[in-house]
Amino acid sequence: MLRLAVLVLLAFMTLPTVVVVAVSFNPTAILSFPPSGLSLRWYVNVVTYPQFQRAAWNSLLVTAGAVALAMPIGTAAALGLARGRPRAASLWATLLLSPLVVPGVAAGLGFLIVGAALGLLRSRSVLIAAHVALVLPFVVRSVGVSVRNLDPTLERAAASLGATPWRVFRRVTLPLLRPGLLAALLFAVIVSLNEFVVSLFISTRLTEILPVAMFTYVVNYTDPTIAALSTLFIVGTFVIVWLADRFLDLGGVFLHHR
Amino acid sequence: MARAVVELAGCTRDYGGIRAVAGLDLVVYEGELLSLLGPSGCGKTTTLNLIAGFVLPTAGRVRIDGQDVTDRPAHQRGLGVVFQSYALFPHLSVWENVAFGLRERRTPRAEIERRVRAALALVRLDTRAEHRPAQLSGGMQQRVALARALVYEPRVLLLDEPLAALDKKLREEMRSELREIQRSVGITTIFVTHDQAEALGLSDRIAVMHGGRIEQLGAPREIYERPASRFVAEFIGASTVLRGRATGPDRVALADNVALRVLGLAGLRAGEAIELAIRPERIRLTGGAGENVMDGRVVGVVYQGVQTELTVELEGGQRLLVFVAEPAPAALAPGQTVRLHLPADAFMRLGPASEEAGR
Amino acid sequence: MRLLLTPALLVVAVFAAALSALLRYSVLEFVPGSLQAGGLTVANFTGIMSRQYLGAVWDTVLLSAATTALTLVASYPVAYVLARTPSARVRSTLLVLTLAPFFTGAIVRTYAWMLVLGNTVVTWPVPMLFTPRGVLVGLVHFSMPTMILLLAAAISHIDPLYERAAASLGASPGRVFRRVTLPLSMPGVVSGSVIVFAWTLSAFATPELLGGGRVKMIANVVRDLALDSFNWPGGAAFAVMALGVTLALLAGVGRLTTPADRGA
Repeated sequence: MLRLAVLVLLAFMTLPTVVVVAVSFNPTAILSFPPSGLSLRWYVNVVTYPQFQRAAWNSLLVTAGAVALAMPIGTAAALGLARGRPRAASLWATLLLSPLVVPGVAAGLGFLIVGAALGLLRSRSVLIAAHVALVLPFVVRSVGVSVRNLDPTLERAAASLGATPWRVFRRVTLPLLRPGLLAALLFAVIVSLNEFVVSLFISTRLTEILPVAMFTYVVNYTDPTIAALSTLFIVGTFVIVWLADRFLDLGGVFLHHR
Repeated sequence: MARAVVELAGCTRDYGGIRAVAGLDLVVYEGELLSLLGPSGCGKTTTLNLIAGFVLPTAGRVRIDGQDVTDRPAHQRGLGVVFQSYALFPHLSVWENVAFGLRERRTPRAEIERRVRAALALVRLDTRAEHRPAQLSGGMQQRVALARALVYEPRVLLLDEPLAALDKKLREEMRSELREIQRSVGITTIFVTHDQAEALGLSDRIAVMHGGRIEQLGAPREIYERPASRFVAEFIGASTVLRGRATGPDRVALADNVALRVLGLAGLRAGEAIELAIRPERIRLTGGAGENVMDGRVVGVVYQGVQTELTVELEGGQRLLVFVAEPAPAALAPGQTVRLHLPADAFMRLGPASEEAGR
Repeated sequence: MRLLLTPALLVVAVFAAALSALLRYSVLEFVPGSLQAGGLTVANFTGIMSRQYLGAVWDTVLLSAATTALTLVASYPVAYVLARTPSARVRSTLLVLTLAPFFTGAIVRTYAWMLVLGNTVVTWPVPMLFTPRGVLVGLVHFSMPTMILLLAAAISHIDPLYERAAASLGASPGRVFRRVTLPLSMPGVVSGSVIVFAWTLSAFATPELLGGGRVKMIANVVRDLALDSFNWPGGAAFAVMALGVTLALLAGVGRLTTPADRGA
């Protein structure tokens, strides 16, 4: 009984994905399911549409910039939180994780107002700044898990053997943090690539990232181009998540192991 | 005259409201193995951490080879530390673990090869060089930790309860191996432990610690046979504490008619209250009469193979712990009456009752 | 500790600056035709009380409540299997299926529903796309991964020995669930529900695309005011209201859960 219910629910959860992938191969512009044939024309459209090309480039720049900043900042913060006294640390932690709870429209409008006041909206700097703020909590959390599993005696041992604090970090701490760092990188990239609401408020036609470009397209056109782009997104994400589960034990991040 | 290698002068260390170490003075001489012995919370690990530079003293100075290193961070003190949990780097092989300190000293490759191989041979782990720590047993990990700390010939070796995680048999094996290595290398060593048998067996000198202070510092035999305080007498080895009143320069009266002759205790004043301790293995079962002979009733019998541990109650109600070497001269059972002889020179004085109250 | 945290705190400060700009604008007067705002006023907040806007607020609350309830019912079975299954393969599969939607982004997920609800796959007996019904379906689908993970985490903390003890005392699996598992999972149920409710209150993409302009939730009103009418103060007031309610709800949950269960 339980098994049946779960299967139905899983079908519900995956149905849209199946439909999107199927529709993306439809040869005509009229959406139909099952598709009347197989065609790659919408994929071609995706790759050649100038606005998508521009948006993909923007996504690349903004995500690369945001992740390049958020990773070291977040790692330092995770280490700092672990070293501090528990009560102070948990206060700072709440503060660092706060962007997660703010509604997207609130953050978006706020950044828009500030960006306009500073005259920065023509550049991608406001986008990158916003993405860093939105991605940082994920980095801090992921690296924090690894930091918590770190045996503090190991750093003392390295110091007793003559390693300066920087050498301790490079030879002992950093290698041992690798799983957390990889997970953080994964989360950071995915969250930034898919960030939509805040980016909607602070993008211009020239700086908009891919999700925003997709939104504009969907509102204006009804052909399956977005289905093709969505399929590309879905395939890419599935592969990444599957790899992550294989090598990073995602279950351990979310569930309590017995 | 032996050279002082490590000196602690008036070291105090506070953690918030707790004083872990109070005004500690300690000198450790060249080539000796000194144990810091005491129960948990006595400050022995804090003392080790002060010497290693992992914590800074709230007051006092730390000197190594005459130089004041109090303000020098841990990685500049040139010491070797073996931690209770071994702290082997899980992401490095045995070889890389042992080579770690040499790499930090920019030792040339060929030299590292030579010395790591020698260190691994010293601890008999040459065949495990490529293994990861997780693949080794506890005893092997401990030896890797030792090799890692010794390979760069540090000035002092610090060991923080290194044998605590091993089972009994392995612990005893490692104990003698450790001593052998220390002697052959000749390195000044400070050994922290809560196990008094370990300290007695390994050390050149023992510092018995209690409440952040050193209660007694001396050779093992001295600590065992002439404990300076009640704490030391009770912490080291077993003993019975007897309360009585001195009745002359060499006489003590216990409660209810039991009179004792005591030798080797200076300055007994008639009338003063006194506490005496006596080791259970010094008390003998006897048949005859004489001085320091008394009867008692057996109230507890614990067979231990090598000896049987008797608890005997005297007329006045005081209880004595007696070790009888096996095979015992007579059958022993609760309720029996036994006659005991307490040799006059076996008593240790714990100080008059008022001294205890002031502690 | 301080030194390591400083860069991160700078980032938070930037974020805080954005929020304080928002707060500031919410109490400034809207000057039509200009992005500069006028003097201090509460008109933006009192404006929320007008019929059309209050309607949007009410619709948002209703939709969020309905979403939370349906999501809870739909997520619990999946969460239970995820937490309790002994098979690593099943757990892996469920995790991937649950997490993947998280990572495909709002637009992709919502567009997929536009296709399904828009009579592409089946012809629905009643209109689904561009109706509150459709938005509800989209919102439930959107919230399920979150709810599943939160519930699974809570259930995985319940020692299976309790269920075994209940069975040994004679309770059938159904009774074990009702009398032991469900009550013990209540903290997770409550915190999961509040979190989903709070997030749904601020949902944007789903109502925007699936509602087609006919279903307005608070976030859509903010966008309309700020990006269509350029009424930044008005939009800010709505956004501040949404922010305030969200913070209040999550602070309430924080009090109920242990740090181990807290989502963020």
